[in-house]
Amino acid sequence: MADLVDSMLDLMRRLPPTRTEENVNALIGICPDYADDLLGSVDQPLQLKTDRSTGREYLACDYNRDGESHRSPWSNEYDPPLEDGTVPTPKLRKLEISANEAFDTYREMYYEGGVSSVYLWDLDDGGFAGVVLLKKVMTPASLHEPSGSWDSIHVFEAAERGRQAHYKLTSTVMLQLVTRNGSDAEDTQKKDVKGADSWKRNGEVNLSGSMTRQTEQDMALHDLSSHVTNTGRMIEDMEIKMRNLLQEVYFGKTRDVVYDLRSVDDLEKARKQRELQKELVGFIKR
Amino acid sequence: MDSKERIDAACSFLLQSPPGEINDVLNDVRNIISDDDSLQEGVLPALREYNLAQFMAVDVPGTDHQSIVSEAARVLPSEDGAERFLDPRSQTSFLFDHLSLEASDPQAVDPNEDSEPFRSALDKATLQYLSAHFHDGVSSVFSRTESPNQFVIQVVANKYNPSNYWSGRWRSEYVVDLNEHKVDGKVLVNVHYYEQGNVQLATTHTVSITLPSAIVTSSPDTSTTKILALIESEEGKFQLILNDTYQDMGEKTFKGLRRALPLTRQKLDWDKVLGYKLGAEISSSKGVFGNS
Repeated sequence: MADLVDSMLDLMRRLPPTRTEENVNALIGICPDYADDLLGSVDQPLQLKTDRSTGREYLACDYNRDGESHRSPWSNEYDPPLEDGTVPTPKLRKLEISANEAFDTYREMYYEGGVSSVYLWDLDDGGFAGVVLLKKVMTPASLHEPSGSWDSIHVFEAAERGRQAHYKLTSTVMLQLVTRNGSDAEDTQKKDVKGADSWKRNGEVNLSGSMTRQTEQDMALHDLSSHVTNTGRMIEDMEIKMRNLLQEVYFGKTRDVVYDLRSVDDLEKARKQRELQKELVGFIKR
Repeated sequence: MDSKERIDAACSFLLQSPPGEINDVLNDVRNIISDDDSLQEGVLPALREYNLAQFMAVDVPGTDHQSIVSEAARVLPSEDGAERFLDPRSQTSFLFDHLSLEASDPQAVDPNEDSEPFRSALDKATLQYLSAHFHDGVSSVFSRTESPNQFVIQVVANKYNPSNYWSGRWRSEYVVDLNEHKVDGKVLVNVHYYEQGNVQLATTHTVSITLPSAIVTSSPDTSTTKILALIESEEGKFQLILNDTYQDMGEKTFKGLRRALPLTRQKLDWDKVLGYKLGAEISSSKGVFGNS
């Protein structure tokens, strides 16, 4: 029943992005047989974990999971410990270590905080695949400060073709921004000025969303470490593009719809203005 | 999950439906649950809850206007126990089908003589306000039967544009209390944009306005016009606040999460990043980029 998965994905595209985890869990409860399809195609916010041996934070998702355990990119160990947990081949692990270091620098440059993790695995056809994860959470110091979170998940496949490599990249960004407005302090001032009339207002604006984009590219391959610089450039370009889209297109669109619902200007006045103008045009033509 | 838990999950999905997408959600849920018989019975309470909370607008039989189906519109159940809703403007009560969203069996209802003059003046003023600021708005004004001198103004405006992947809903509700000289209101806006993604705006805005006694003691026409002027000003202010919030989120919050470009205003030099990191590993000194 392929269309069952389609229905689940359509549903997830409609329900609030703020409740993705809860809704994915409910869907898995209803159709346990489709858990893998669902977890493989719906991205969820990344879990923050701490590496037991290095004390360093890393990100957990489906790609570094084996059973109930997650592998840390820093120590290469599973938590809870697994004796025969899947790990990359030594050659790929070496590349994984340098990718983690490079993306840690990338994270610091763009996120100025947050956590990054890179996981690589071998593919049956001889190539390899990987995922680059980045997460940053802003916790407000006070109630009226904005809070937010950014999660990005970049899954790629690399196929070597002589001195070239072909990359397929699928990127998802999940974003949540919450702002609380309250003007109690302002009201007290107004109260002093205007006397008995007081206005109290409070509000919350929650803007959240997720988007996914794909791209493919051929890039030059000098040695193994070229994979890090190549995927690095691709992911950097993709994140810049997606951040722009979110800010300009998606947020701009939701704001415009609010104005489509309610006009700040008086529509009646505007209608009368138009009528008056029509009359004048008619008058001049005569 | 047993059958009841599945229905509960289905109800939760329905209650989360974005504006104008309840049928799409219901369609998905039908396919996922694939048990129409238990679903049909089971989700009716959720559909009712959704319609009431979302201020569903309905064509009132025998009139050429729409009325709002909501908690405030419920009339005391008749002897046969069927739930009826009131359209105060046409003084008609009706049955409402929560699945087809249609009204039926209109019946005349006698208004309360004491509150009707103020209620109908408030209705008129609200309609004027509606045509001044809303592109496709519906409003209803109710007298609270249980507490005289309390009136409920409800406004809903919907825009659905599925071919361009967006939909939006504006709801406002104001409880006008002439005894306490105040108006308590809330504005709820939901927008969904889902072209190659899923972005949702959800806002809540509550306000409490104290009415000067001059407004309360005026004639219904003057008094209601002034109350709507206060509401107009408040909703205008809310939109300005929302605009500022968007500005702040774009310029500050978003940048706080992820910069558009690094401080250097240039993209990363990946060869350097890699080369430097390897060098740093050998000399095991502290990285120039930070704490790593």
